Amino acid sequence: MEQYKLFINGEFVDADSGKTFETIDPGTEAPIATVAQAGKADAEEAIAAARKAFDRGDWSGLTPAARAAKVQDFADQITRQGLRLAFTESMNSGQVISLARFMPLISVTLLRNLSLAAVTKFPWEEEIPVSGNAFAPGREFIRREPVGVCVGISPWNYPMYIACWKIAPALLMGNTMVLKPASYTPLTALIVAEAAKAAGIPDGVFNVIAGPGRELGEILCTHPDVDKIAFTGSTEVGREIMRMAAGTIKKVTLELGGKSANIILDDADMELAVEGALFSNFFHQGQVCSSGSRVLVSSKIHDEFLDKMIKRAESIRIGYQMDQTSHMGPLVSKQQLATVERYVKLGKEEGAELITGGKRVEVKGIKGGFYYAPTIFANVNNKMRIAQEEIFGPVLCIIKYDSDEEAIAIANDSVYGLAGGVFSTNIARAERVARGVRTGTMWINNYHIFSDYCPFGGYKQSGVGREFGLESLREYTQIKRIHVSAIADHKSNMTFQIMSDYKKVEGFSYNCPTAVIAGHGALSSIYKAVADLGCRRALIFTDSGVNKAGLAQLVKDALVDFCVGIYDNISPDPDLETVDVATAVARELKADCIVSVGGGSVIDTAKGVCVTLKNGGKVNDYLNFLVLTEPQTPHIAIPTTAGTGSEVTNIAVLTSKGAGRKLFIIDTRIMPNVAILDPRFTMTLPKDLTVTTAMDAMTHAIEAMMSTLANQICDGLALHAIRLINENLPLVVADGSNEKARLSMQLAATMAGWAFTIAQVGLVHGMAHTIGTLHHVPHGVACGIVLPKVMRYNVDHVADKLALVAQALGINTAGMKEHDVALAAADAVESLMKKVGHPMRLRDVGVPEENLAICAFHAIADTAVIFNGRPVSDPNEVLQIYRQAY
Amino acid sequence: MEPGVSQAIRSFLADKGIQQPIRIDLYFSGCCDSSLYLCVDTIFETDLTLELDGLTFVINPEIYQVVGEVTISYVDEMGRKGFVLTSSKPVGEWDGFGVSDIKIQANLYV
Repeated sequence: MEQYKLFINGEFVDADSGKTFETIDPGTEAPIATVAQAGKADAEEAIAAARKAFDRGDWSGLTPAARAAKVQDFADQITRQGLRLAFTESMNSGQVISLARFMPLISVTLLRNLSLAAVTKFPWEEEIPVSGNAFAPGREFIRREPVGVCVGISPWNYPMYIACWKIAPALLMGNTMVLKPASYTPLTALIVAEAAKAAGIPDGVFNVIAGPGRELGEILCTHPDVDKIAFTGSTEVGREIMRMAAGTIKKVTLELGGKSANIILDDADMELAVEGALFSNFFHQGQVCSSGSRVLVSSKIHDEFLDKMIKRAESIRIGYQMDQTSHMGPLVSKQQLATVERYVKLGKEEGAELITGGKRVEVKGIKGGFYYAPTIFANVNNKMRIAQEEIFGPVLCIIKYDSDEEAIAIANDSVYGLAGGVFSTNIARAERVARGVRTGTMWINNYHIFSDYCPFGGYKQSGVGREFGLESLREYTQIKRIHVSAIADHKSNMTFQIMSDYKKVEGFSYNCPTAVIAGHGALSSIYKAVADLGCRRALIFTDSGVNKAGLAQLVKDALVDFCVGIYDNISPDPDLETVDVATAVARELKADCIVSVGGGSVIDTAKGVCVTLKNGGKVNDYLNFLVLTEPQTPHIAIPTTAGTGSEVTNIAVLTSKGAGRKLFIIDTRIMPNVAILDPRFTMTLPKDLTVTTAMDAMTHAIEAMMSTLANQICDGLALHAIRLINENLPLVVADGSNEKARLSMQLAATMAGWAFTIAQVGLVHGMAHTIGTLHHVPHGVACGIVLPKVMRYNVDHVADKLALVAQALGINTAGMKEHDVALAAADAVESLMKKVGHPMRLRDVGVPEENLAICAFHAIADTAVIFNGRPVSDPNEVLQIYRQAY
Repeated sequence: MEPGVSQAIRSFLADKGIQQPIRIDLYFSGCCDSSLYLCVDTIFETDLTLELDGLTFVINPEIYQVVGEVTISYVDEMGRKGFVLTSSKPVGEWDGFGVSDIKIQANLYV
């Protein structure tokens, strides 16, 4: 009789205790080999060898390609042993030889297919182009690394194949392994070990210990040097393994039991359905975890189906597994036979109708063996134990149903969810049914199809994790994310500053790609601008006021035949629905370019449309910071105010009814491609709007100066914007037709826009957003009223910056202390406001005093406040500012 | 029965308000392994019965023939709580590995 030893650290060794056990041929009950019986000492030795091999790095440190090449050598050695493996598998497990002969082939194919996937398809490293954290720029990527020492516990029904389900991904991903095959069927795993040695797999990388699960299970599942357990077996044992693994937080993959439903719809091809049901349950004597052991048959075809099933089941040839003509061989053990008999008896006791089978079979010429006839129960109720508990034998339960919904409900009425099938000539219907069943695999018009690239695993108590495919490779790796900070300077690290009194961020990145075309008649450039963007179908967005003023028509004429329409249903402070409706219009017209003609509301709406048009869905899907990775639908902005600066900024401000406040899209990729500053477009802007939009621009510039993200490029832009507004606003208020002054105001708004889009704004905007949302105060009005108050609030933190602002506002600062100069800047802003007739008090614009407190609470939560030059965390302080402004 | 078992069983029965025999049965717990378990049940005519410490145990004679003498122990340690059943003729290599509660045969379809 053959003798098999344990395979530990590259050597075949006796058990430490010297114990051995016999393994038998279930077809004759005769012993066929003795096997060294591993105990705790052997398990510890194997784990130690695997641990050392992993830590050594001569396997885990190889490149994926080098490991794959070695695994291919391993596959070659298995191929060389193919005949011996097939016969041994058949003799030891009872698999009929017509099945067992394929086991070496499909095991080798699995090794080779996963090798290929590990090298060519597996994402060992993945770049994360957008991190989702706007406050910590840098390179983000992930690496997938091996888990470490993996224990594989394989069952007796497919000893070699299921062992390879674990060996292949474990080794390919750089892990080392201790494999414990089932004690009924250890032989092929030990022959595979011979192949591993012959292939030169380094010592300790692959180890095989055979022995009783009860004795080895605890040590394998609790040893601190084991990192992962992959188990195929019963739910009860799996549960215990999971509990044990929890003590040291090991990774766990479990492939457990099933009681899968094979659903035969009333339009199924009858012959196919009968063969499918037969195969799903009697293949390998029903000893398959994915067996379709509940056959759900439509009541319309039940009787015909049953007749055919009986005839077909009774034609199955049961014989010795090594006989090529046998369709079914023996069960694996007498215990298994006893369990099956127990369930058959139970089924009768429960009232199911035994239609055929239900008895042991004697095979001619064979003395002994655990043979059982294909057994069918009809009139089974899904609540019966024979319908709920896995029998793991050739026992099929037929359950009648009336509707597809009922079939799905019956299928799902199980603690298991491993597999299932649907037979129907209507694929759409079959797929609808398949989708309704909560299970890991559904086969349509087929059964028991396992494919190397297709994941297999259970829902519910059928398991955790997946075998096969890239999913199985992932199960044997863990993810390391690496972040490389963009600026290695603590003074530029916004998050470190939470624990620091120094709040100014020194480093910055300036990226403003909008092409600006400015001057009298600049509108004419739009024709070429559209063509240069590769577009032909420009849709104009505007508001009704601008449209009525004839400005949209000017643009339409300038676009000649590139214009597909004018959409003017955009109101001030646009909400998300406004954007979605506009997007639908753009889609309808197949627009490939958006031209916004209007103030900030129109331009921001257009920005939202450009994102949603490009990426689909609704604008609510994109209210994020810095997440876009591609250019959006091209956008040309023609501002009619001076202004929000939205024609060059990376922000779209949209009102969310759900959130009850303004939310934002912030992304470099929503900056318009082109901004056309043609003063003709602001000439008809009424005086009050000219003033209030100018104060919005002034606020942008001053807040950019005060911001914790202020930098010298933005300071330069902001200061010149302040100068231009200070000089030109009174001129355009006095004479709206002063085109030179109008252009200067537009340029000021644009420069202020560049300044704040990088340096950000602060508390003024937080407060203005709030009263804008709650009390519909126009944005520029709100900004202007609150601006000087916030300047005074911030003065101790930004005196140096406000001193520059004061100079830009034309104050003669000679001989003054910096603090006083800074305060003078606030006074100068108020003077300008009074001069041009800007509202000075919140009470004058309809904000009720009793609401100031709630406004303060909302304002402090506005994102803009994060960057305020003075830290703001006390709503009472904000309330004081509102009161000052009231 | 190992020490602690009868108390644990009595406690379970009192908790459920049941006074019925305890059956030792065999069930298939999923892919490749069957195991012994305890359940509350009625006595069938052909059952083998045993009175132990005031509790009545029953087992199907065919199952007894397969598994032999059964030893029941009770564990309550570090998240592992329940009954462990082993037999003189183990049903599988994982015999005694798992713990289980006493099942109530509510799903027995009659």
